[in-house]
Amino acid sequence: MYETTYHKAGNVAEAASLLAAAEDGQLLAGGQTLIPTMKARLAAPSDLVDISGASDMRGITVNVSAVTIGAMMTHAEVAANADLFAICPALSNLAARIGDPAVRNRGTLGGSLANNDPAADYPAAMLSLDATVVTNTREIAADAFFTGLFETALAEGEIITGVSFTAPGKAAYQKFPNPASRYAMCGVFVSVGPSGPRVAVTGAGADGVFRATEIETALQAKLDPHAIDKVSLDAKAMLSDLHGDGAYRANLVKVMTKRAVAALD
Amino acid sequence: MSFDAKYKAQDYNSVGTRPVRPDGVDKVTGRARYGADFNMPGQLVGRVLRSPHAHARIVSIDTSGAERLKGVKAVVTAADLPDLTNGDQTLFDILDNCMARSKAFYDGHAVAAVAAVDAKTAREALKRIEVEYEVLPHVIDVDEAVKPSAPVLRDDVFTGGVEPKPQTPSNIANRSEFGHGDVDEGFAEADVIVERSFRTEQTHQGYIEPHACVASMNPDGTADMWVCTQGHFVYRQNCADLLGLDVSKLRVTSSEIGGGFGGKTHVWMEPVALALSRKAGRPVKIVMSRNEVFRASGPTSATSIDVKIGAKKDGTITAAQATLRYSCGPYEDIWGEFGAKTSFACYGLKNVKSVGYEVLVNRPKAAAYRAPSAPMAAFAVESTIDELAQKIGLDSIEFRIKNAAKEGTRSSYGPVYGPIGIGPTLEAAQNHPHMKAPLGKNQGRGMACGFWFNFGGQTCTDLNIGSDGTATLAVGTVDVGGARASLSLVAAEELGIPYENVRAVVADTASLGYNDMTDGSRGTFSSSMATISAARNAVKVLRERAALTWDIPVEDVIWEDGCAKATDKKHGNLPPLTIADIAETAGKTGGPIAGHSELVADGAGVSFATHICDVEVDPETGATKILRYTVIQDAGKAVHPDYVEGQYQGGAAQGIGWALNEEYIYGEDGRLQNPGFLDYRIPVCSDLPMIDTQILEIPNPNHPYGVRGVGETSIVPPLAAIANAVSNAAGVRMTHIPMSPPRILAALEGESEG
Amino acid sequence: MSAIAVSTTINGDEVEFLCQAEETLLDVLRERLGLTGAKEGCGTGDCGACSVMVDGRLVCACLVLGAEAEGRSIETIEGMANGDELHPLQTKFLEHAALQCGVCTPGFLVAAKALLDANPDPTEEEIRFWLAGNLCRCTGYDKIVRAVQDAAQELRGS
Repeated sequence: MYETTYHKAGNVAEAASLLAAAEDGQLLAGGQTLIPTMKARLAAPSDLVDISGASDMRGITVNVSAVTIGAMMTHAEVAANADLFAICPALSNLAARIGDPAVRNRGTLGGSLANNDPAADYPAAMLSLDATVVTNTREIAADAFFTGLFETALAEGEIITGVSFTAPGKAAYQKFPNPASRYAMCGVFVSVGPSGPRVAVTGAGADGVFRATEIETALQAKLDPHAIDKVSLDAKAMLSDLHGDGAYRANLVKVMTKRAVAALD
Repeated sequence: MSFDAKYKAQDYNSVGTRPVRPDGVDKVTGRARYGADFNMPGQLVGRVLRSPHAHARIVSIDTSGAERLKGVKAVVTAADLPDLTNGDQTLFDILDNCMARSKAFYDGHAVAAVAAVDAKTAREALKRIEVEYEVLPHVIDVDEAVKPSAPVLRDDVFTGGVEPKPQTPSNIANRSEFGHGDVDEGFAEADVIVERSFRTEQTHQGYIEPHACVASMNPDGTADMWVCTQGHFVYRQNCADLLGLDVSKLRVTSSEIGGGFGGKTHVWMEPVALALSRKAGRPVKIVMSRNEVFRASGPTSATSIDVKIGAKKDGTITAAQATLRYSCGPYEDIWGEFGAKTSFACYGLKNVKSVGYEVLVNRPKAAAYRAPSAPMAAFAVESTIDELAQKIGLDSIEFRIKNAAKEGTRSSYGPVYGPIGIGPTLEAAQNHPHMKAPLGKNQGRGMACGFWFNFGGQTCTDLNIGSDGTATLAVGTVDVGGARASLSLVAAEELGIPYENVRAVVADTASLGYNDMTDGSRGTFSSSMATISAARNAVKVLRERAALTWDIPVEDVIWEDGCAKATDKKHGNLPPLTIADIAETAGKTGGPIAGHSELVADGAGVSFATHICDVEVDPETGATKILRYTVIQDAGKAVHPDYVEGQYQGGAAQGIGWALNEEYIYGEDGRLQNPGFLDYRIPVCSDLPMIDTQILEIPNPNHPYGVRGVGETSIVPPLAAIANAVSNAAGVRMTHIPMSPPRILAALEGESEG
Repeated sequence: MSAIAVSTTINGDEVEFLCQAEETLLDVLRERLGLTGAKEGCGTGDCGACSVMVDGRLVCACLVLGAEAEGRSIETIEGMANGDELHPLQTKFLEHAALQCGVCTPGFLVAAKALLDANPDPTEEEIRFWLAGNLCRCTGYDKIVRAVQDAAQELRGS
């Protein structure tokens, strides 16, 4: 790692002012991506602002079907929350299957969303759930938040404080983990709310997480795994890398979607 | 004093029991010291600059910027490791791999190194070294490298083993051939012939502990090294040769070793650490990063193998032939030769021929990996055998039993076998409940056999009796998987004392005579032989001391149950002298009591195994899950059965990873794309089922207890066993390892075969 | 760059150390405090050999900054035994021969203890998925899983 300066913020406002004062500051949430990236010298922030002590970025509330989750909630905390499990078990199960226990104990919802790794699980959930990403300055709809590989709508110095969404009637997440990294080679989150099915795919898109609108249309017509039999996905729009090509991933999207539809809960 | 190594049946008190290992408490409390856990006063941090190119001429290296950086104490390049190899090509290749001379041959090849006061300064110094490269065309793929159009790595390598000697350099460094009979005649007699081509990708040993050493070289020519290695005597020899040191003035201490599997039988950055220490005048510690371990410490070969086997309708194999191309990295080695020798070793064949090629490619120098070269050959041969059995309509095991080698069979690689375990392991598999267990949808069962030679070699041990009758056993073979426990059992057995009264240690190179390294499954085989010999020498001294004490002839003293006993009736009233009694008075009867042994452990018994595997293949994704796995292997004699089982299970797990997932992936630019455990993930706990084991004991006639090596054979059958299981589950014959989900799905969709 | 002063608790003892911002907790434990039981197998959080507990939660010490230890409670392999009395997991690892080279063993023990502290009666599948962040290249995991099962049983019985 290159030299850096470490700061600790007690709340969002403090974090924002520390970031603003830094030449090239970076928030340190769980550090599960940032620290390896810094070690590989692919990131060299002048300042690190540790927000693990930011109490106003924590907590999970469930009010009838309205859910809010603080950005600094770890995957393990999200997975273990009984209120959330009662109303949206698909999200709890997603969180429980990210990485390994050590990653789940450190990695955070906010960190995952801000990083927008094309193979991360949470972005698919947020997109499918039509969630709102809440920052220290505004609210951003998930549809507008994820803008490309590792790219988001976040402005310089803007901090995700949490997310909110309305729990869907039914939802399910199915992923095909990379046998090596356990990241999703394809993860499909299907939720069915008042406006119909929303299907979001991670791990497979050439431009990162995306909504599979053709699949949504097919499922709108009939909420059945076989409803998407005839949908054809463009392999060229899929991610092609050392673990699998676009055609392989296009197949996975359909297979995982069918399994998610069959598992809707 | 001649030592009789012949096997003699006996009852055992200690051998065959399962006590807690002597190094265990240190290892469960975090006290055990591995390569990176050692430090010296004034120590510097060493780091290595590595080529980013797969193949490049080194035009110039300017180290002045690094040398000017505050805190940098030494910078070395090939110029600081002058060629002292005197025409010894093997040694020169080791030197060139440790530090590139005229050319960088692979992504990760060392080109310079620094020693600095801390890691940060060392890293900064590397950035200030300016290397001018002339990038050359590269070749990564083993089949591409043998084509006439391929870029030739070395202008000094001409194919060996062919007549007349070629006049143009080639990436094929050597050809070797084994076999007997006439295969053409044999194929003419065959009713059914199966011919297939196979590929396996390059995998890494994947030891969890990266290479690490601390080197300290003094102005008076003495030097010390602390290092994780499978063979500290061999490291000493290599380092002394390359640095121009007197062998005995370099003391090498082997740390606890965090896995090796063959990868720690070769020196990598250790000579560089010594060169840095020599130049800086201070101790230097180098610890490789995981990235360096993958890019620059040897993986095993990638291979391309053609197999043709013919049989009569009654199941008799009439001829078998294989052509095996093994990648070596940039330096000639014996991996193709090992592949050729092991390929048909399980079978008794009238007509057999195997030809191995050593192929140079722009990948890291290939290193030994557990039964090196055998798993790939077994994958090709055992897959073909299975297919042939199916075509003839015979059961896989029946077909193998019918053709299995037995005592007196002339092996495909030359020697005539003594008593061997291939038949018994097959029969045990046939009778194993696993073979009869029901299978569900998309599930299949496969089996395969494997062979490994096992090595012996030079071995030296000391056994010292303490004043209280306890014993210290000093061995020179590094303990990679519980050998100190096994050797303590052997010493206890011979001395007739409790296991707890023996402490085994791995001695440094200054404290014991030369030992070959722990490779070829030789550690317990050869060091137990030397321990038996040393203990018997100690017992002779103990008897002499008792005789002196009693003032009777030594011939009248026997050793039994840890005591000297007078045998002749005229001494009938003498109470036995315990080992403690004799040790206590040693100062008055002639001094310290010890037994020593120096020997060449000949007659390592060959090893065979049969594995059974159940898999489930997901037809929609191509993912394969291992449902059940059974290892049956001949140990000769299991000294500590827990650790024999551990070797069986660990080898199977490595084979499973190789079969399904692990592979080096290179980009078009010749750079390794997955040099880390994130993208090169070895099997984790949730990938595997319990791995059942069955130990067979067919005594090796050339060891007093019948011990054979057990460490390596278990990695040989899995690739084929799993491929056969996948074939039975999904109806596709996989010919390309690893059988990753995309490859299996592609095969299922008929887009390509394997 | 001035060093950061950190006050923390390690294995029940109050500890103060100085570190740079970019030093990891693993660097601090190994290089500054002499606690070499946690190993660096990869440095990227993929092997689990550096597993330690921070405020009762299992983490990879190579992905935590030393500065983050301020005010927290760290537990490492060196603190697992109670004096010369081994923890039942340590004893069962020895009895079941659940280690060969042993370099991954400290990480497995810390991870397994974290599991049993939270779930005293895990199924085999739960053990396997919990320990999936710890790589072992020697054992094939069979004897490790059996040792954890046996230790869990003993801990439940006592």
